[in-house]
Amino acid sequence: MISFLLRRLLAAVPILIGVSIVVFITIKIIPGDPVASLLGPTSTPEARAALESRLGLDQPLPVQYLQWVWHLLQGDLGTSISKQTQVLGLVLDAFWNTLILTAFAAILAFAMGIALGAVAALRRGKAVAALGNAIALISISLPQYSVGLLLIIYIATGTGLLPTAGMYDAIGGGGWGDLFRHIILPGVTAALVPAGIIARMFRTTVIDVMSMDFIDALRARGMSERRILLHAFHNTTPTLLTIAGLQLGYLLGGVVFVETVFSWPGIGLLVFQSIAQRDLPVIQAGVIVSALAFVVINLVVDALHATIDPRMRAHS
Amino acid sequence: MATMDVAVAPRLRRRARTSGTRRRLPLPSKIAAAVIALLLLAAVFAPLLTSQSPTVGVLGDRLLAPGSSGHLLGTDGQGRDIFTRLVYGARPSLLTGMIPVAVAGLIGTAFGLIAGLGKPLLHSSVMRFLDVFYAFPAVLLAIAIAAALGSGSSNAIIALSVILIPPIARVSEAETGRLRNADFMEAARASGSSWSALAFRQVLPNIAPAVVVYCTALIGLSIVYSAGLSYLGLGIAPPTAEWGLMISDLQQYMFTTPSLLIAPALAIVVASVAFNVLGDGLGNYLNVRSEIA
Amino acid sequence: MKRGMLLTDNRPVTSGGTSPAVPDQPSPQTSGRGTLMVRELSTTFRSSGREIRAVRSVSFEVHPGRTLVLLGESGSGKSVTARALMRLHGPRAVIQGDVTLGEVDLLGVDDATMRGIRGARVALVPQDPSAALDPLRRVGGQITEVLRLHDVVPDKAAARTRAIELLGQVGIPDPERAFRSYPHELSGGMRQRVVIAMGISCDPEVIIADEPTTALDVTVQAQILDLFAELQRRLDTALLMVTHDVGVAADIADEVAVMYAGSIVETGPAREVLERPRHPYTQALLAAIPTPDVARGELVAIAGSPPMAGEDFPGCAFAGRCPFVQDSCRTSPPPLVVVESGHLAACPVINPVTATTPVVGPSTESTR
Ligand SMILES: Nc1ncnc2c1ncn2[C@@H]1O[C@H](COP(=O)(O)OP(=O)(O)OP(=O)(O)O)[C@@H](O)[C@H]1O
Ligand code: SF4
Ligand SMILES: [Mg+2]
Repeated sequence: MISFLLRRLLAAVPILIGVSIVVFITIKIIPGDPVASLLGPTSTPEARAALESRLGLDQPLPVQYLQWVWHLLQGDLGTSISKQTQVLGLVLDAFWNTLILTAFAAILAFAMGIALGAVAALRRGKAVAALGNAIALISISLPQYSVGLLLIIYIATGTGLLPTAGMYDAIGGGGWGDLFRHIILPGVTAALVPAGIIARMFRTTVIDVMSMDFIDALRARGMSERRILLHAFHNTTPTLLTIAGLQLGYLLGGVVFVETVFSWPGIGLLVFQSIAQRDLPVIQAGVIVSALAFVVINLVVDALHATIDPRMRAHS
Repeated sequence: MATMDVAVAPRLRRRARTSGTRRRLPLPSKIAAAVIALLLLAAVFAPLLTSQSPTVGVLGDRLLAPGSSGHLLGTDGQGRDIFTRLVYGARPSLLTGMIPVAVAGLIGTAFGLIAGLGKPLLHSSVMRFLDVFYAFPAVLLAIAIAAALGSGSSNAIIALSVILIPPIARVSEAETGRLRNADFMEAARASGSSWSALAFRQVLPNIAPAVVVYCTALIGLSIVYSAGLSYLGLGIAPPTAEWGLMISDLQQYMFTTPSLLIAPALAIVVASVAFNVLGDGLGNYLNVRSEIA
Repeated sequence: MKRGMLLTDNRPVTSGGTSPAVPDQPSPQTSGRGTLMVRELSTTFRSSGREIRAVRSVSFEVHPGRTLVLLGESGSGKSVTARALMRLHGPRAVIQGDVTLGEVDLLGVDDATMRGIRGARVALVPQDPSAALDPLRRVGGQITEVLRLHDVVPDKAAARTRAIELLGQVGIPDPERAFRSYPHELSGGMRQRVVIAMGISCDPEVIIADEPTTALDVTVQAQILDLFAELQRRLDTALLMVTHDVGVAADIADEVAVMYAGSIVETGPAREVLERPRHPYTQALLAAIPTPDVARGELVAIAGSPPMAGEDFPGCAFAGRCPFVQDSCRTSPPPLVVVESGHLAACPVINPVTATTPVVGPSTESTR
């Protein structure tokens, strides 16, 4: 098991290197001359050349990349242009809030997706199954910003029961209850698309597992259908984990829209605010932290997968 | 004569068809196709559907509620007719949704073919390269690219194309991989077919159904994302009419005239649902599994 | 392959005094265990308005301590028959006829009772052992689950002891270790032994083995067949073995029933049927003994192919391929003709019905 995890960890290294290269490229494709824009149009060529060499921009690209990675490894993700503070602290604070929202949405998405998918698979050919399929298909097509706004209009302001924005009430807020009231609508909004995808994938998984020979063998050994379903469900867990790995990545990315609509103080909102201010270091840091989180999530998923499926431990 | 059997690649069937019953495009997919056709027609013939301007409003007619005379869906904060903007907005909204899928479809399929038919080393290099993109939450990567390039519809299209390539490449690679050892491929290789003949004559026709089905469904996603980029301020710039922009613009009146938001919000939902339903039905029809993950 | 040659092994093939398919003959009841009696069993699948008559009124008996081999090529309805006995087909299948085990009417009892019988009194050893085990669970747990399910052991500890004992009985060298193994850690032959151990775990009266050796290597095949023979002798179970392999039938059968297109066309003591086949299909089958390079269940020597699934035919199913075919063959189903004591063949053409050869009745009924 430990050697399995070590191998997985090792396999993540080239991915992380690739991730850093991609982010570095997004820095380099920024159009225009960064030095000129920093110094303004009236700057002298000498001043520009001086700044250029101070920032290392006169070095060849590979050298610049290595310098950038070196800073990255020390936790230096640059300075926010608009807020003039270290980006890392900014992003980490926001990241916790994003993680809370993502975790809540993930639980909702899995609960809804598994229920829908199971109904669609086990009641195949019946009207409820068709309904389940339709709901799943529609929910994967829903834009989070549209859904979020409609929920604010009709649920939050319409009923007045739930807050329209933020994570805690400004006055007298705080605590779990307050957080829970605030997280419901953004959580539901973020969960809808993954729930639909999970439902569709879980449906095929259940159908596949139920048509496996060992299920039939269980029946031939005299097992009741309920008990057979339990064994079948156990056999869907490896696939569910794979789905989880993918969907958590989707959720981490999708929160930009949700956080923007609901003013949830996470990475997504931070990124959105930085877009208007062209505060690119913050955006890049947000992307790096999310990608890192995603890689870690996938490692955890792999480990869980291996504890559930003995074949995983043997192979790969 | 010897090459005759190579010229026409047999269309492999996937799961054995239930004998006798021909598959048909289900009704919801036909409706979806009709909806898409209507949207496209509206996009093309927008000037014929409305006589008002999508960009210049009448300041005296600001923020009229839906149903006001002459303004079926109301007017926005600059007195522009929302129905007019919705119809004109179909053009950029659909285009910036469809073009990235087309671009990514071509590039992704090529990646998949190269990986699927290439030697093991080539195969694993291409796949590891794609894995890197899978490590990013896709939307965030698109935002980072679009933000770096600066706002504008072409930059949004580039950003979306980049994030759509890896999943399409995976589908194409997986489908190619299933053909690699098929008999007709062996025959083609044995008869000395070149790599390109193999790829274009043998493999492409066989993987096309799966890729097309997948791409159809992806258009729905891409429309949502491209409008989303505009919503965040990264796509088309105002005052152009575009659905995502309309939402971000009308959002400020959310608590005073919320009904104005419904039309653009629904337009995106309808377009996206239509493409997903069509993709789903096509998948059944062509007997391929399509799954957006 | 050697097994292709008939009756090369030394074991005497007992041509028991009982004839499996003749009704109204007293069946021997040894050691109080029940006989599996199958009368005019039919199975029809209904799908999208079409009917597939996969099994057409077959009758046979399997007695305690004896082995009936159901022999036939791929698609002849062997597995459908085997599964119909245990009511394992879904709601789309219509099953008619009578199946009794001892006093129990297997097609009549309620679902809960049937569940209590499956695995406990009638065990199924399926074709592919690798697929019959839950890939995510240790082998031991899967065996103890069956033992606990049918209440054959008082507690967990006893279940464990019994499971390990069973694993030893089926010839697994290190039963303790196998108990802790996952299915993928065992070889195909070992997995099949595990599945057989599960099959015998509740000391069933009948074991139905559906091509239990098809998925295995040739050498392992022989070992598994020996194991079946030994277990059956020791446990006194009735064994219904389904196979497409004439060699397997020659190896292990006491009685043979040859299936073709859903019907039993010939049945009788193994030596009788295999040495002096009296149905044109059986004759062709034996002439076309499979070799390693002929895919399983394929009969190259007989031109033509059996009727398609779902295709209906009023007369003899073999008419399209039969060298002796006459016009009368195509109009009405041929009756089973008694050609020797206990040996029946459904071909009145090469077994002319005379005053001294009794007819048992139509083997197929085209109207049902
Ligand atoms: N669930 C089902 N629905 C419809 N037809 C079926 C079903 N199961 C089996 N059949 C049909 O019944 C016929 C007999 O199938 P069966 O599986 O019994 O063959 P078999 O003799 O066991 O052959 P094999 O050696 O290939 O296992 C086949 O033609 C098959 O198409
Ligand atoms: S009944 Fe006729 S067709 Fe059938 S086996 Fe006998 S001779 Fe052949
Ligand atoms: Mg079978």
